Amino acid sequence: MPLASGPPSSFRRLRDAPSFPRVNPDAPALAATLARIVGARHVLTRASSLLVYRSDGLPGLERQPALAVFPGSREELVAVMRALAEAEAPFVARGAGTGLSGGALADGVTLLGLHRLKRIIAVDAEARTATVEPGVVNASLSRAVAPHGLHYAPDPSSQTACTIGGNIAENAGGPHCLKYGVTLNHVVRATVVLPDGTLTTLDRGDEGGYDLLGAFVGSEGCFGVVVDVTVRLTRDPERVITLLADFTSVRAAADATSRIVAAGILPAALELMDQATIEAVESSIYAAGYPRDAAAVLLIEVDGAAAGLEDDARAVEAECRGAGAREVRIAHDAAERARLWQGRKKAFGAMGRVAPHLAVQDAVVPRTRLADLLDEIRRIGERHGVRVCNVFHAGDGNLHPNIPYDANDPDASRRVHGAMREIMTRCIAEGGTITGEHGVGLDKLPYMDALFTADTLDAMCTLRDVFDPSRRANPGKVVPVRACREWHAAPAARALAREAVAR
Amino acid sequence: MTAPGGPTHTPAGTAELAALVRDASARRARLRIRGAGTWMDAGHPVRDAEPLSLEAFRGVDAHTPGDLTISVGAATTLAELDEVTRAHRQWCPLLPWGDDTGTVGATVATATDGPCAAALGRPRDLVLGVEAVDGRARTLVAGGRVVKNVAGFDLTRALTGSWGTLAVLTRLHLRLRALPPGEESWVLHADDAGVERLRAALDAFARGPLAPMAIVRLGAASAGALGFDGSARALVRVGGNAAFVAESRSRLAACGDARPADPAIWNAVRARLAPEDRARRWDWNALSLRIRERFDPARLLNPGLLGDAA
Repeated sequence: MPLASGPPSSFRRLRDAPSFPRVNPDAPALAATLARIVGARHVLTRASSLLVYRSDGLPGLERQPALAVFPGSREELVAVMRALAEAEAPFVARGAGTGLSGGALADGVTLLGLHRLKRIIAVDAEARTATVEPGVVNASLSRAVAPHGLHYAPDPSSQTACTIGGNIAENAGGPHCLKYGVTLNHVVRATVVLPDGTLTTLDRGDEGGYDLLGAFVGSEGCFGVVVDVTVRLTRDPERVITLLADFTSVRAAADATSRIVAAGILPAALELMDQATIEAVESSIYAAGYPRDAAAVLLIEVDGAAAGLEDDARAVEAECRGAGAREVRIAHDAAERARLWQGRKKAFGAMGRVAPHLAVQDAVVPRTRLADLLDEIRRIGERHGVRVCNVFHAGDGNLHPNIPYDANDPDASRRVHGAMREIMTRCIAEGGTITGEHGVGLDKLPYMDALFTADTLDAMCTLRDVFDPSRRANPGKVVPVRACREWHAAPAARALAREAVAR
Repeated sequence: MTAPGGPTHTPAGTAELAALVRDASARRARLRIRGAGTWMDAGHPVRDAEPLSLEAFRGVDAHTPGDLTISVGAATTLAELDEVTRAHRQWCPLLPWGDDTGTVGATVATATDGPCAAALGRPRDLVLGVEAVDGRARTLVAGGRVVKNVAGFDLTRALTGSWGTLAVLTRLHLRLRALPPGEESWVLHADDAGVERLRAALDAFARGPLAPMAIVRLGAASAGALGFDGSARALVRVGGNAAFVAESRSRLAACGDARPADPAIWNAVRARLAPEDRARRWDWNALSLRIRERFDPARLLNPGLLGDAA
């Protein structure tokens, strides 16, 4: 199979690369074209009806789309993508809008809503796979395959609302990813429609090929749109043991985490909640029975074969006590286990009681740095006069320092953002990263330069150009525009580039 | 040292390597990447390329046992990686086809998995980050030492398994696992009359809750290659705590004639039962062509290795 011959493609070097194309060239005409494909009632153009799409799950960021289109079938989706390509129109794909990085916001461009594409196309219980459309809700997939004794393992806290398509865009995680891995580890194959309208199938290259699916998963809607995806299903564990360990210091809880991991035990989940989070949860309708006077609790789950599992649970308990746990409680039945988990999964919601807005953060540090870093986060919070609630995946070192505040109070906003910046800078200095599962979106763009070298950011632009040389898919997200040194111009972009230079 | 294609380049670090790639590009020369030299003929022959040795990128850069992560140079051998991690009762279960004289860089560059991959993870699952110099002489630092990371587009996934045709891998960050506290290997025998029953019983075992580390089914040829007679039908490797291993042992005994096997048998499996290299049937679809063109426009890295006409 000879490679297409010819000279290497030429690159245009522009000192000030133009920004991503941002404005729909002709919104009313485009809306009419799209309405012919999906029906007029599935295209929104009035500002008032678009209001609900101005934000996602992250409070504080708002962008107004020019129009929204909601295809109802695979054929309609492909036709919409081809119409957008024809019109050279930028677009932003969106699932349930539960993302926490502003990634699904459309700034004056077309919003492509995928929630109507919610068919479970096939379930193969023998091979343990399911093929689904992108709008299928994460928890409904698990519910649908439950009769086979199977489930879909990635379990973000928003799983009752978020979609598989969104999970793929973000490479979503969840508490049980400690043992079972993130979304990428559960995706076998995907049919995607590229921004130029081409339909193609991506896989991990296991049969001889580049890992194009690996590059696509987590690309935050910048590489194309999933038409259908085949995911791996996981056998329900034979047995599950859930423990709640309570500590009089956050440091002791973090130490227990390290001790459990060092002992060679791989829990299914290992979650830490600090006092501020416990207080918020216990004061809410999601009260889970966490001890209010604890400085921190660990929610630990071990699962798998019944044989040997109690030994693992006993070892976990011993490590917790060794680290200074006051009490270690074991959930007696499924109901108690569900209650303990509900408190954890609804913790973000519970913080809504504390203040009208919530700054959500998502950083990862090497596990052994957790205890020191949590001390540091507390000091940073004190210095800025803000209350940090920590609720996070301790086993992965994946922090979620959240700050409830009132965004209408400019002074409070300033202090919150100052504290967040300092926390993130500190995490990067510890060899960590700025997002473990929420994605970069718009929210984390300012940190990308601190985390990556100019060469690396430029190479990320190159990777995007493999899938979307026109850069119309989710413009302006993930990698700062100025980081793309070389503007590899497609016809549409080249025209824009010429205009930008002329101006 | 002189080799076909001219003297071997041995850059001492990434800056020298980037300069070498820039220089090669200017001279219209091509480079053949070499770690330990264990898979040089894996795919298609690479002709008219200057040998590029990565021997300077060898050794462990950082290992924090409590983090269950390690950073190593690409030319570090699998044996060295295993020795360092085992000292802390940990391992990086790459266990690829071949043997431990191969390098970590080659294992990741070719995404070569092995008999335990389904249970313990493939190279694509175990690589947390890479450092590399691409065909445009850019030095890439992607991913990192943390176990969860979705910052930016995933260069680590794009480069893992790209056979050195997009970039030269210089350093890898890997996920480690704790060694199981107990481990046993079993070979299951059956005569011709009992084969079907054994197969069904093993299928049920594999689907059950006692997830084994590996199950390798043996035909007459593969059994012979491992030194077993024709009645050996499968090899099973189990690992876990004492109660788990004991339960696995009794279930396997119920499957049929289970006899204990020397754990060293897995080295023989890796060395003697390797499947055909995937490099021979590379899928050059439109996106594959484009990714190759954008990261290595002059096709100066490992030209022709994957059947791309040099």
